Amino acid sequence: MFLAEAVNTAIIAKGLMIGGGFIGPAIGIGLIGGSYLQAVGRNPEASKFLGQALIFVAIVELFGLLAFASIFIVK
Amino acid sequence: MLSSVLTKFGAEGPSVHVAPGKGIEIAGLTITNSILYGWIVAVALIIFFTWVARRVTVHPKGGVIQYIEAGVDFITNLVTSAFDDKKVGRKYVPFFVTLFFFILFNNWLGLLPIVGEGFKSGENPLLRPFTGDLNGTFAIGVVTMAVVYVASVRESGGFLNYLRHFFVGSPKNPLFLLIGLLEMFTDLTRVLSLSLRLFLNITIGEIVIGVFAYLGSFMAPLTALPFYMMELLVAALQAYIFTVLSVMYLAIAVNHSQDHSHDHDLTEDNSSETMKLASSKASG
Repeated sequence: MFLAEAVNTAIIAKGLMIGGGFIGPAIGIGLIGGSYLQAVGRNPEASKFLGQALIFVAIVELFGLLAFASIFIVK
Repeated sequence: MLSSVLTKFGAEGPSVHVAPGKGIEIAGLTITNSILYGWIVAVALIIFFTWVARRVTVHPKGGVIQYIEAGVDFITNLVTSAFDDKKVGRKYVPFFVTLFFFILFNNWLGLLPIVGEGFKSGENPLLRPFTGDLNGTFAIGVVTMAVVYVASVRESGGFLNYLRHFFVGSPKNPLFLLIGLLEMFTDLTRVLSLSLRLFLNITIGEIVIGVFAYLGSFMAPLTALPFYMMELLVAALQAYIFTVLSVMYLAIAVNHSQDHSHDHDLTEDNSSETMKLASSKASG
């Protein structure tokens, strides 16, 4: 008997997709936030660049959202 | 009794429609629920902003007008500071302010309880957020990028001059040619990335709110509230990011083409110019 017949592989695939797809953006957003705070800590005037930091958060976030959107395609 | 109430709420899974639902059909054209809501929001925005524009004074008395004024000022500063030449930047302020407020109000009004699964006509919800539909965001993306391309071609003076800004150096160099072609290709993906980002953020926000309202069953307002608040933030952030990215795309092309004339002076005409300068100095 094949594994695919015994187990619902779609659920495993969805789980892997969410886990693998979200770990990258999570690390990326963490790095962006960390770097921003570090920059502010070194030079408090850098706090005005929060807008720029948020742009990069949005760019990174897109890849997580793509992974989230594609779990609806897996059947 | 409580259990029956619980099963009533918990019986159906969370249902969120991602695809736009068919609404009315006029002369062979289907009016989907998302475009219907887009029109409603657009008309509401026109009326609201005409009302605001009539009441703008030098000494604001407070209220909602002040917030709109602050928003317009914010975007104006954002656009003009992105361009090297402030006069060029001023020309494109109205478009980007409109873009920002259109996306912002579509996102925010899309979170109202009347929009979505609450009110249905037949199987489909009566109204859906315009930005929660890929057709809508793709249309916004295409229009924005069309404006950006037309404006950058016009500002850089001719199509060939515009194409030149893709290349770091002379296109005769094979490496620069390859990099330039790659740059052109990544330029084409901007429409897709802009529209997908907005669409996915809004739709997934809806899905998350739907899932947590379902999980909360009879305490649905309480469990969905934090995500609702987060979505308010995300909606504003996405409107801001869409505007900033399109401003950047335009500003890069325009500033770059202005820089290129400088490069030209420095690299090719530099030697003769310095010679001239030196000779004029020597003679003077």
